[in-house]
This record gives sequence, C-alpha cells and structure tokens, in this order.
Amino acid sequence: MKIAVCVKHAVDETELKVDAGGNPQLKGAATRMSTFDKNAVEEALRLKAAHQGEVVIVTVGTPEAKKTMKEALAMGADRGVLVSADPMAIDTRRTAELLAAALKKGGPYDVVLCSEGSSDMYSGLVPPMVGELLDLPYVGYARRIEVSGQAAKVERALEDSVEVVEAPTPLVASVVSEINEPRYPTLIQIMQAGRKPVEELSAEALIPGAGQSVSLVRGMKAQAMARKRVVFEGPPEETAKKLLEALASEGVLPR
Amino acid sequence: MATYSAEQRRLMETFYPDHHEEYSEVLSSLGTFMEKELLPISPKIDTGEVKIAGPRKALLKQGMCQIAFPEEYGGLGLPFSVYAVAIEMLGTAEASTCLSVEIHNAVAEGLNRFATDAQKSRYLPGLLTGDSLASFTLTEPASGSDAGTMATTAEKKGGEYSINGSKMFITNAGEADLYLVFAKTKKGPSCFIVESPTPGLSFGGDLKKLGMRGSRTSEVVFSDCRIPEGNLVGEEGKGADYAKEILHGARIIVAALNVGIAQIAYEKSLAYARQRKAFGKTISEFQLIREKIADMKTDISAGRMLYLYASKVKESGADYSSEASQAKVFSTEMSLRVCDSAIQIHGGYGYTTDELHRHWRDARLLTIGEGTSEVLRLLIARRELARSQ
Repeated sequence: MKIAVCVKHAVDETELKVDAGGNPQLKGAATRMSTFDKNAVEEALRLKAAHQGEVVIVTVGTPEAKKTMKEALAMGADRGVLVSADPMAIDTRRTAELLAAALKKGGPYDVVLCSEGSSDMYSGLVPPMVGELLDLPYVGYARRIEVSGQAAKVERALEDSVEVVEAPTPLVASVVSEINEPRYPTLIQIMQAGRKPVEELSAEALIPGAGQSVSLVRGMKAQAMARKRVVFEGPPEETAKKLLEALASEGVLPR
Repeated sequence: MATYSAEQRRLMETFYPDHHEEYSEVLSSLGTFMEKELLPISPKIDTGEVKIAGPRKALLKQGMCQIAFPEEYGGLGLPFSVYAVAIEMLGTAEASTCLSVEIHNAVAEGLNRFATDAQKSRYLPGLLTGDSLASFTLTEPASGSDAGTMATTAEKKGGEYSINGSKMFITNAGEADLYLVFAKTKKGPSCFIVESPTPGLSFGGDLKKLGMRGSRTSEVVFSDCRIPEGNLVGEEGKGADYAKEILHGARIIVAALNVGIAQIAYEKSLAYARQRKAFGKTISEFQLIREKIADMKTDISAGRMLYLYASKVKESGADYSSEASQAKVFSTEMSLRVCDSAIQIHGGYGYTTDELHRHWRDARLLTIGEGTSEVLRLLIARRELARSQ
C-alpha cells in the first residue's frame, strides 16, 4: 500500500504572542509540525504496518519545513517530498493545488491522509480540495480507518454522532486527534531520519504561477472572549446540580 | 512548560555551532517525552502511587542512555554535554527517575571505559536500550568516600571469585539486572560484574528516605556470591581508581540533576508570585520577592554553566575532577537554596504541600550522595593546589 501524508510546518499557536492591538505576532513566531498532523502520520504508519508498503510525507513549505519533515520521517515514514513555497504567503487553494500536483507526480497513492485542519489556521479546507483536485473520494474527520482490498471503512467523528461510511480506494481522508496516540520517535530514529531521502520540488516548476493566490488575507485579529465568572456556592451535591443545569441551558452538554 | 528551554538551546548553539541543530532535535524530542509522560506523574511517584519501573523503562527505550555512547554498542555517539542537558531536563521533570537513570548510566559509562570488548558487547547494548538495569555498589555500612577501607572481599577460588560483605544506600538495589561491585582482593579494591539473580546475592528492604522516594535504595548483601573470573572488570587492585573515574563523571551529572530540580522549583515560584496577591497587588511586585527571583535565576544559570563547563573539559580528555566537583558542590547547595526560597515564596502552601516541598526533599540527598560537599571541597583544594605548583 502506498500512503501519502500531507503535513504542515505550522506556527506554534501555544507560543504565539498577541500585541496590545490584538494582532498575532507571526513574524519570528515559534514553529512546529501542526499538532494533528502527527495523528495522520501515525495512522499512515499503522496502515503500513498492517498492509506493508510505503509512507511518503508531502509538505508545502519554506526550508524551515524540513524540521517537520524530519520529525515525520523520524516517526517512521520512508521518504519525503518538499514543495518549496511559503504557506503563509499563499492561500489554501494554492496550497491544495501544489499538494495535489506533488501527489500526482509521485503517485498514484492508495490512501492520502491529512489532519482535520492545521493547528495554526485551522480552516480545514485543504484536505477536501486535494480530494477534489485529484478527483478522488474524500472522507473527512475520520476517527477510525480500516482498509480491505479496494475499499475503506471509515468512522467519521461528527459533532454529535459517529457516521460509518465505505469508500473505494484510492481516497483522501482527514483524521481527527482521537484516531490514535502518535508515537514518540526514539533518539536513534531522529538521528537516522536525516539520512532518509527528501525530494525538493519547486512550486513554480510544478504549477507555473503557483505563487499567485486567489484570495488575500488582509489581517488577523485575536478574539477576546469574555468570561461569565459564575460562582455556585453551597454543598457539592447542590453546586454540581446547578452547574449541570447551567451548562445544559448554555447548550454545551449533549442532550 | 517547555522542558528543553530557550537557555539550554542557546548554550547548545554556543558550544556546538556546527552540530547544535541535531543536538537540539534530540533534546527537544526527549523534552517533549518527559513533559508529557513524566512531569504529570512526578507527584504520584513521590507519594508512591506510581512506581518508576514503567516510566523509567519507557524513557530508556526512547534512548536517554544512548546519547553519549559509541554507535558500535547502540549509542548515538553524541557529546557528554548533550547527555548532561538531558539529565537537567529529567531532573526538572522527575527527579527520582533521574537519580535511578543517572546511576544506571554511570555503570554503563564505567563498563565502556574499563571493561573488555567482550564484556562491553555482552552488556552495553542491553543497558543502553533499557532492556537491563544497572546498579553501582561502592558505599558500605562503615565506609563511604574512603573507599579504600571497604570490608567487602572477593576471594579467588578456582575459576571463580567468591564475594562476601555488604553494600549500603544502593540505588536500584533489588531492581537491577547487573551490579557493578567493588570488593577487595589480595591486590586491593577491584571491580566486578555481578548479574542478578546469582546465588548469594540478596537485598535489604527499601529504605525510607526524606526525598527521591520513587527510586529504590537498599542494602546489597553478598554471601559466598560466586561469579566467573571473567566478570572481573579491568585489573585486580585498580577498582578504587575506576570508582573515582566513574564518580567524577557522575558528579557532573548530579550537578545537572540539581540544576533541573532548582529549575522546576523556580518556575513554580515564578507562577505563584505572579498570581498570589497581598496588600492589593501580586507578591511579584514586592521588592523582596523580586530579590529572591533574581537570586534564584542567577544561581540556576551559574549552576548550568558550571556543569556544562565541566562536561566540556571532560570531552576534551583533560583532567576534569576539580571542575566536576566544583559543579557538584555548587549545584547541589544552590539547588537547596533555590528550593528553600521556593518554599518561602509559597509561604504556608510551600511548607504544607508535597507538590512544592518535595523538590527541597529531593535536592537534599545530593550534598551527601556521590561525594559529600565536604570531601569534594578537599578534592578541589588538593587538585587546585597541585595545579598551581
């Protein structure tokens, strides 16, 4: 089985500073592999363990993205493809086009995995776009994937239910974090990852004009969230009941 | 909390301009493991709710003890300083596990230095991956730093040595698969490998300790414990020299461990000082608390520089016994100062909660273990007087 995993070298949102005007300070911000991408890599490695084959990491990024590539290779992926472009300077459509072009060039793949969304921007747009551009079925928000023969059975984690679908392979799927617990690469695997092959592709060579986006992000603002600061007083059995009632009335508990 | 800190990363960049990225990848990955898998269970290890065997094995499987060993035995071949920084991180995340791992690694380092190729091939790969655990047995009920007065004997009988005597305050005792044992032969203190189980090898109960409660400490007893003569490490009569060499390296590591303990006590103090209010403002705004914060931070930075400097001298191949001892004396005493200040900043909560005072209790061991501050001051003075002649 030939599996591709699309990953992103993302801004580390846990370290991101916001200035007094609410503007996130993206320049010079700490970066790392997008959190949920590790789940996608882990799932690919599990599929490989069950079906044999190869796991290829594909990313669109600056040279800095090699860190994420190396981390994914250290987890156990076999090789990588790095498409040179700054994902912060192009939109999701162009990112998806570049990923799809790289996947076409190195394909065909039986399964293409992505995470449900990147941990910095979290638009969730790229995975379905990649499916569309490759003309493959797309299954989003997978919490379980079983591949058998030429078909995959996928459990989709939706907001208040789980949907089980079957789709023919090849397919594109996005995974949610509950699908697995990503492994930690051992130190030896980290040292050896640098020796695994990584093919570097120029965005311009893949798609002429690849630097041109169809949409433009003019700015981003941090959203201030006001807290209600409700305090329940009394014995635990009473406050617990009040808390449950309050949460239910806010609509945050499943009914 | 990031276990691999910006300060540590900058020091790696300074010390290893050509290789720092690779070293930082290793340390960062290890730090993530410690932060997620060890730091959260550390309070439960202190109270005995969680035993360290599982987490320790997982950490060794990650490669914690492979860092500074040759690749031919399964190591990574990285500098000793990288291992020292990893130990500092582990001291921050989980001190008891760190103590156990530090002793284990010191034995592996001793074997790498003094054992035959056959002994190294037999034992090192398993020790480096954590498939087996090691223990260092030097101290006796009536002898500590004066190892020359040890009472444990090893008598050659045919193709075997018969070991008799007992060792005290032994970390990993009863859990380890391999014991590096120092015992006297006719030629003087000598060094042996004793595998467990071996008839005649037994252990006392787990000693109740002030701190480092997760690591097992007990007496090791040898009663006509017979081992093959091939288990002699190096030459007969040179055991005291080997022990000294092993301990010099271990002292750097103990220094790093104490910097790690001080670091977590400092971080907790910083967070508490920012949120605790008195007289209408946070206590971090009071000058006397700020003085403490400044002194704690300066102390920790100095300790870190000392253990890294000693590591670099060790890596150069020069005599580093004084530098290692300076690092240990300073960092162990510094750690106690910092942990004491942390208790003071936390006030009543500092004195009454394990979550805070366990750091002081953990740190308290190491002005005693692996060379007391008093003995090491004598060593430093002796070495520096000799160097100045």
